[in-house]
Amino acid sequence: MSAFAVKGTAEEARALPRGPVRGLPWTVLRLHRAALVVWVTFLLAAVGTLVWEVEVIADSVRERIASCGENGGLCRLTTLVDYSGTISWASTLVYYSFFAVAAFAGGALIGRELENGTAQLAWTQSVSPTRWLAAKLAVPAVLLVLGGTVFVLVFRWAWAANRDLMGDDWTFNDVFAARGPALVAYGLCGLAVGALAGVVLRRSLPALGISCVVMYLLNHNLEKHRVDLWPTVASGGSTVGGLPDDVWQVGDGSFHTQSHYWPMHLVETGIVLGVAGLATAAAFGLLRRRTA
Amino acid sequence: MSRDEEGIALAAVGLGKRYRRRRGPVLRNCSFRLPAGRICALVGPNGAGKSTLLSLAAGLIRPTEGTLTVLGTTPAEARTRFAYVAQSKPLPPQLTVAATLRLGAELNRARWDRAAAERIAYGPLAPGGDRDGALDPTSKIRSLSGGQRTRVALALAFGKRPELMLLDEPMADLDPLARRELLGALLGEAAEHGTTIVISSHVIAELEGACDHLLLMGGGRIRLGGDPEQLLAAHTLLTGPARDLTGHTVVESRDAGRQLTALIRPGGPLPDDWQTAAPSLEELLLAHLRNPDAPDLFTEETVETDENEENARA
Amino acid sequence: MTTLPTSPLTSPREDHSLSLRGSRGLVWSVLRLHRAALWIWLLLLAAVSATMLWAYGPGFDAAAADLRQQCRDSVVACHFPSGPWYGKYDTAVALSTLVVAYLPFLVAVWAGAALIGRELETGTAHLAWTQSVSPARWLAAKLAVPALLITAGTAVLIPLHRLMWNGGEELLWADWYDQDAFHANGTVALAYALCGLAVGALAGLLLGRALPALGVAFAAMLAITYLGNDYRPSMWRTVTVTGAKALNLPDDSLRLDQGVITTEGTRIGNNLACTDALDGAADLRRCMARGGLSDIWATYHPRSHFWPLQLAETGIVLAVAALAVIAAFVLLNRRVATASAAASVPPDRRTAAVGAAV
Repeated sequence: MSAFAVKGTAEEARALPRGPVRGLPWTVLRLHRAALVVWVTFLLAAVGTLVWEVEVIADSVRERIASCGENGGLCRLTTLVDYSGTISWASTLVYYSFFAVAAFAGGALIGRELENGTAQLAWTQSVSPTRWLAAKLAVPAVLLVLGGTVFVLVFRWAWAANRDLMGDDWTFNDVFAARGPALVAYGLCGLAVGALAGVVLRRSLPALGISCVVMYLLNHNLEKHRVDLWPTVASGGSTVGGLPDDVWQVGDGSFHTQSHYWPMHLVETGIVLGVAGLATAAAFGLLRRRTA
Repeated sequence: MSRDEEGIALAAVGLGKRYRRRRGPVLRNCSFRLPAGRICALVGPNGAGKSTLLSLAAGLIRPTEGTLTVLGTTPAEARTRFAYVAQSKPLPPQLTVAATLRLGAELNRARWDRAAAERIAYGPLAPGGDRDGALDPTSKIRSLSGGQRTRVALALAFGKRPELMLLDEPMADLDPLARRELLGALLGEAAEHGTTIVISSHVIAELEGACDHLLLMGGGRIRLGGDPEQLLAAHTLLTGPARDLTGHTVVESRDAGRQLTALIRPGGPLPDDWQTAAPSLEELLLAHLRNPDAPDLFTEETVETDENEENARA
Repeated sequence: MTTLPTSPLTSPREDHSLSLRGSRGLVWSVLRLHRAALWIWLLLLAAVSATMLWAYGPGFDAAAADLRQQCRDSVVACHFPSGPWYGKYDTAVALSTLVVAYLPFLVAVWAGAALIGRELETGTAHLAWTQSVSPARWLAAKLAVPALLITAGTAVLIPLHRLMWNGGEELLWADWYDQDAFHANGTVALAYALCGLAVGALAGLLLGRALPALGVAFAAMLAITYLGNDYRPSMWRTVTVTGAKALNLPDDSLRLDQGVITTEGTRIGNNLACTDALDGAADLRRCMARGGLSDIWATYHPRSHFWPLQLAETGIVLAVAALAVIAAFVLLNRRVATASAAASVPPDRRTAAVGAAV
């Protein structure tokens, strides 16, 4: 009997694989297992570092400062920099991880699959290109939203926990983004821009490069114009009495008070999500136009 | 829906595809019909447009003009009912063989036949199973040879239990024994389930005898279409004194002084002083490929008439 | 430099007929395979050079004139430089510094992914190895051609960056030891870029796949850059001064540590005692006597250490690059040797492969 001959099929052999995740989502997770492991590890490390710093290290930092003595200004400073620096490393890395997300989406998620034909393989396996792209975007998006939300909540707590030990304030680039939904929005935007670049270029490395460049331009310009995202308070005569120390001074003397944080933050989130939406729509439109 | 459309696996009307605006079209004004249940050889030289036609049928790309009906509907609508194996046999390199089959199951949850897929992938390659070519479920796609990857790709196609199989050069990486076994499996599938099978190849010899339908592509269109026996019967190989051939369609003629050798489609009775012979399939195809100006020929069931065209539009 | 890749090398056929040196053909093939990267590199060079020249000349002049005008109008503006011209100037300087300083990352990801990783993944490297080019020569060409182009390019970028930087000091408010500026203003830019090439190539050879090699090469460069920044001050001996001099370091010094020596002779670092005694030597002596101290000290790098520090770091980073190159060649040789011995097919599959070939 020939190996290729297919004779009558036993019913039990038709049994479909079981598991909590099935179908397309299973495929996406299985194909990108390495990326999933790396990302979860990275996020756990970041969250773990924050918890560790706040719960364990903070007290010893206070002890070290106390033992610095009365002339230990420099000693105090370096101790603070150690503590504050670690927390800011965590927020900086997680905030800018949208570059990695864009690189992943343009490179491994979409570009490589179109390049080596495995996307087309899926499209001839009962999955339409549209559904394929939807799953490719939805599964990472859900993970990004979940992971990002957890990190934002933990970071808000860690950042507020020991303000006396921290040298930063709410206007710092990473702190500004990591204390709210903008962090998640940047991740989603990286995903969408990467996917669009992958669909347009159909090659992994160019798509990776382009999506990183696009994300840099978007992020750089938003960071630069953050102060313009909400009307400032004019300085007027109140400068004489001195400004509150947590304001964001703009060059011409006007400023943002900390109460502007949420409006500014949400405007930026909206812009980033808008770009993400446009990129997603363009990716779907292009894919639909190209395939039957 | 008319009987015609139910019994038609593939129908093209004025199909055309160009990849870039400035380049010439790869397919041009291509019209034909493929009745269901056939094993069809899609043959033609390299670059004739075979892969483009199969990609269009698989709904992977969009035609620039014309329409292509697959199993009585659009390629997108028919997606769950046909299988397609691309020429390069793309498979995710990071998966194992078992995970790749699981991928097929997950992507075809409605109609996956695990036993069929596993028999292609893991079944013994020869009667008795004494050859050690069977695949190890735990080996990575990355580490497989070309022929082994072809087996996995074919396993995904068989596991889908399709009504139509579109196979782009499936034989290229297989050893002679595996080729014969693949043909056997395809014949069995067709006999048992009435599956329509389209196999592209530029080597006709490997399909001769197995196929009961032929599509010859050249210059971006279908040159010959129909049952190979009928096509052969329509042609005659002549040897005899040079003489006017008006009244017959000449596919190819060669003058050697007063002697003439020609492949013609007889348009009437032939003079007695000519020696006639039935051409072989290979002779027929080569004669057409050497002479791009020879008129196209379709058997009745293959030609896409205006009436059919209206049906397809309706 | 721009003419190098195009004119003499675009006609490989003549070259083959001569077949004096196969290396010319090899160089041509490297340039041809990575033509897109070559164009991007040339475009980047042109764009960044133009930006820096603009910032050096018209950009600086416009911004300075605008700021002088603003300063005359309002005192606040003297301390908060702003305005459209200043903004443009600042952006131009920041962007070009960013590109020159982080170029090594770009080189590393490119070398890991496109130069080596993708070639091994798609098998085009093996194609080259079967075209009368030994793997070692293939890798040598893959490294030498980009290395030359990188060297030539940075030889343009670094002097231009220095020109822009030195010319704009009064507007830039940045110090010679700032990380990005330090990277962009001297030979370390070249060293890190070559190191990126070597590390990327090693990652590509190790992993044999484009995207993982890209990630690993990036991470490795991140680590190397971080270590370099961390250990930079210790790459050249520091200057230590005591007494009143410790309170008034020369302008533009990189202050590293500050401390005291007690009357028992114990040296305590990281201590700011008596640093507020700025009124003079007598004040300082009083403060020290009160605290039981015999002296205070400070260690620092004066600005004159810029070049020693640059050259020391250049040497160390080039040594790392050399190690990576050696590792890459050793790895390649070992792998090719085993491949020829076992035909890169596991023994149990070999019979099947042979059977299939019959």
